[in-house]
Amino acid sequence: MFGIKKFLFKGGTPENLPGDVRSALEAWRESAAPALDGLHFHTRYRVIDVATTGTDPENDQLQGIATSSVFQASIVPGDTLYVDFPAGGEEGGAIERRLLAFLQLVDKGPLVTYHVPYVGGFLQRACKERLGVDFQPSWIDLAWLLPSMFPDKGNKVMPLDHWLEAFGLDVGSGRRNAMENSLLLARLFQMLLVRANGKGIDTAAKLIGESRASSFLRRIH
Amino acid sequence: MSENMSGGPGDESLAAIGAELRDDGRRRMAGNTQAFLKKHAPFNKMSAAALQTFGEKAQIVFYPAGSEIIGPDAGIVRFFYLIESGKVQARQAGEVTVTEYSILSLGAGESFPIGAVTAGRPSTNIYTAVEDTFCYQLPAEDYLALMASSPEFNLFCTQYIASLLDQSRRQLQQQFAQKASEQQTLNSPLEGIGARNPLSVTPDTPLREALETMSRVGIGSMVVTDTEKKPVGIFTRSDLLDRVVLADLPLSAPISQAMSATPLTLEEHATAYDAMLAMATHGIRHVLVTNHAGALTGVVSERDLFALQRIGLRQIRQTIESAPNVEALKQSAADVRQLSFNMLAQGIGSEQLTQFISALNDALTRRVIQLNLERHSFEGIDWAWLAFGSEGRDEQTFSTDQDNGIVFTVPEGMEKDALKQRFLAFALDTNKDLDAVGFPLCKGNIMASNPQWCMTLEEWKGQFSKWIRTPEPKALLNATIFFDFRPLFGKSELADSMRRHLLSQASATPVFLQAMARNALEVGPPLGKIRDFVTDLEPEHPGKIDLKKYGSRIFVDVARIYALATGVHNTNSIQRLRLASQRLSTKPEEINAVLDGLNFIQLLRLQHQYLEGEPGRQGDNLIDPEKLNELDRRILKESFRQARKIQSRLKLDYQVQ
Repeated sequence: MFGIKKFLFKGGTPENLPGDVRSALEAWRESAAPALDGLHFHTRYRVIDVATTGTDPENDQLQGIATSSVFQASIVPGDTLYVDFPAGGEEGGAIERRLLAFLQLVDKGPLVTYHVPYVGGFLQRACKERLGVDFQPSWIDLAWLLPSMFPDKGNKVMPLDHWLEAFGLDVGSGRRNAMENSLLLARLFQMLLVRANGKGIDTAAKLIGESRASSFLRRIH
Repeated sequence: MSENMSGGPGDESLAAIGAELRDDGRRRMAGNTQAFLKKHAPFNKMSAAALQTFGEKAQIVFYPAGSEIIGPDAGIVRFFYLIESGKVQARQAGEVTVTEYSILSLGAGESFPIGAVTAGRPSTNIYTAVEDTFCYQLPAEDYLALMASSPEFNLFCTQYIASLLDQSRRQLQQQFAQKASEQQTLNSPLEGIGARNPLSVTPDTPLREALETMSRVGIGSMVVTDTEKKPVGIFTRSDLLDRVVLADLPLSAPISQAMSATPLTLEEHATAYDAMLAMATHGIRHVLVTNHAGALTGVVSERDLFALQRIGLRQIRQTIESAPNVEALKQSAADVRQLSFNMLAQGIGSEQLTQFISALNDALTRRVIQLNLERHSFEGIDWAWLAFGSEGRDEQTFSTDQDNGIVFTVPEGMEKDALKQRFLAFALDTNKDLDAVGFPLCKGNIMASNPQWCMTLEEWKGQFSKWIRTPEPKALLNATIFFDFRPLFGKSELADSMRRHLLSQASATPVFLQAMARNALEVGPPLGKIRDFVTDLEPEHPGKIDLKKYGSRIFVDVARIYALATGVHNTNSIQRLRLASQRLSTKPEEINAVLDGLNFIQLLRLQHQYLEGEPGRQGDNLIDPEKLNELDRRILKESFRQARKIQSRLKLDYQVQ
C-alpha cells in the first residue's frame, strides 16, 4: 500500500490530501521565510537529525525527525519536536500531518545538521512524495563548516564522533537516537556560533553563505 | 476542489498533532538531560518526576573559555546554573573577603550561585568560564518550585546555605581571635592596659590632701604631675611608711618631699612586655604611661599585667564560690565577661556560649544569695529562687538584667504573711547586691523583692492557671516571661511541681496556645519586599534592626509554644525546638536549618554587644545591616527566612488568620 501511494503522489500536490492538510499546506507555501540578516542571537536555528531504515535517501525510509532549537544562545527545551512516523500510523493522512507539523515548526528558517545530502535527502524525498513540496531550506552543514571554522581541531570532513571527541563532548556508549544527536549537534553549533562571531560571520545569511562555500571548496579540492 | 476542504475540526487535529510532536520532543530532550543528572548528586537521589521537571525547564548554554557567566553587575540572578562540562571559576567581587575562599573552581555536576538564586538577589561572586563550558540553566522560578517540591533538592540547597553559615562563623572567630590576641598578648600597646586618665596632683599638694584622696578613691599610688600634666614623681603606700611615718614628715608638707622623683615613664605605644621588663629591671610596681607630648595618660600596675594572663574557668569559679563579699564578686563578674569573650574567640558557638555565660552568672547569683543568707535564715522552710526570661532559658548575652522570683511553702504553724515579709527583705538585699555585681535591676520590676513575684507554690500554680484560662494581653506577656522559669537556688522540687502544673494546664487549653500563637505572630522578621531588610521599624533607631525583637524573640516565642504544647520540660529555646520537633516528627535537617538561623542571630548579638559595646555600658541589640559584610548580610537574611518559616508553620498549626 505504501508503495502504491508513493507512486501516486509523485509530482505536484497530491490530489487526495485531506482538506485541512491541503489548506494548511497552502498557507505554509504562502508564508514568508524569516529574514536572515539578523544577528545570530536573534535568529532561531533548528538543528535537525533523522532516524532512517538505512543510509540511502533514495531507497531507505525516513522513520523519525528530531528537531532542537538554538535561540538567543540557548538550547531551549520548550522548542523541540520529535516526529515518530511508525508510531503515528498511516490512517487518515497521519504521515502527511506529521510531516506538515514539522514544516510548520521550522517555518522556512535556517536549518542546521550534520551532512546535508543525507539528512536533507531523506526530508526532501518525503516532502516531495507526501506533500508535493520541493523542500529546499537554507541549510547549514556542520560536516563542512566545522573543519573550516575549527581547523585547529580538525581540517577535514570527519565522522561526527571525532568532532565530539575533539570538543570534549560526551560521545556516550552505544547507539545514539536522533534526539540525542540533534542535541549534540546543537551544542557543537553553539560553539560554532561563538567562533563565527569572532570571525565577523555574525548573521544567519553570512553563515549560510560560509557553509555553502566551505562545502563547495572542499568538494572541488 | 474536493469535498475534503471543509477545514474546521481538521485544523484542530493538525494543531493537536503539532502539540503532540512538540511534547514528544520536549520529553526526549528532558530524558537526555536526565541521563546527565542521574550521574550527579543531589540529582541522582531525586525522584524521576523532579528530574523530568528539571529537564523540561532547563536550557543548555555554552560559555566559551574566558567569558563571564554571571556577576554582581548582572542584577538579580535569573538562573540556577549546573555545569555539564568544562570549568568555572568563582571569584569574589570587590576587595572584602566574605567567604573563606577567594577563588573556587567548579567542574561538571557542580552548581551555582545557590545562595543568590535562593535569595533572589545579585550574585556576590563573579563566575567565569575558564574552559569551554556548557551549563544547564534552570530559571529561578522553576528552581524555587523544584526546591518546594523535591525534598532531596531542598536538603541539598539548605545544607549548602548552612555551610555558608559555618563559613561565616569561622570568619567571626577569626575576627575575635585577632581582637583577643591583641588584648591578651604582651605585645599589646600600653594605651589599652591599666587605668586610663589616672588621678594626679601637683607637687605642692599637701600630703594630707593627697592621702585623703587616695583613701577615698581606693588607690594605692598617686602620680604627681606639673601644670602641663607631665609626671614628675609617684607616691605609693610603701613611700608612706619609709618617707613619711619613719621620716617624721608632717602631713602638711608638700607631696614633692615624699614622692619618688623621676618616675619611670613609657609612651603609649610601648608594649606590655616593655612595661614588664621595666618593672623587673627597676624593681618597681608601677609604670606611668604618657602620650607623645609627655603628658600623663595612664598607669600600668603589676596587677594589670598579671591580669593579661589568660583567665581560666576553674579559677573564676573558685573565686566566685569563695568570694567573701559583693566587692570581690564584682571583679569576678568582669572576669566572666572577659572569659566569655575569650571563648567566643576560641570558636565556641552561640548555643554553648550563652549557656556558659548563664552557668557562670548562675554561680555569681548563687554566691550573692548565699552571702545574703548569712543575714537572712530560712532554716526548715522549703523555698527556691527562680530565674525567668532569658536567664530562665539559659540564653543570657553579655547584657542581661535581672528577672527573678521566689517560690516557697508555708510550714505548719507559721504565718504566711510574716514569712513573705522575711523573704521580701532577703530578696531586696539580694536584688541590690546583684545590681552591684553587674546585673541591672529589672525595669519592669520582675524581681523577687516585688510582692507579686514572691509567692507560695499554690499561689504560683493559681497564677499560672489564671493566665492560661484568661489569655488577655497582659497574661500573654507574662506567660512569655514567667513560663521560662528555672530554679537557681533552693529546693528545685518546687519548680518541678510548678512545671508539671504548667504543662498539664497549657497542653489541655488549646485556646491559650492559639492566643500565644497569635501573639507570637504579631512581629515578623524584618524582610523587605524590595530591599533585603526593613530597617525603619523602630522610629527611634532609623536604619537599624533590633536583633532581639525582630530576630531571636521570634524563635524563642515559637519554641515556647511548641514546648508547652508537646510537654517539653526544657526552657532553653534550642533544646525546646529540638525536642518539640522530634515529637512533631519534623525532619531533623529542617529544624537544624532553623537552629542555625537562631544561633547565627545570637552570635551576631554577642558580637555586637562585645565588639561595639562600650565597657561598663549595657550593650544593645541594634545592628545596622549596611555595616555587615556581604556574607553576614546574606546569612542574616537566610536566618530571618528561617524565622519566617517557623512562623508560617505556627500559623498553620494554630490556624491563625
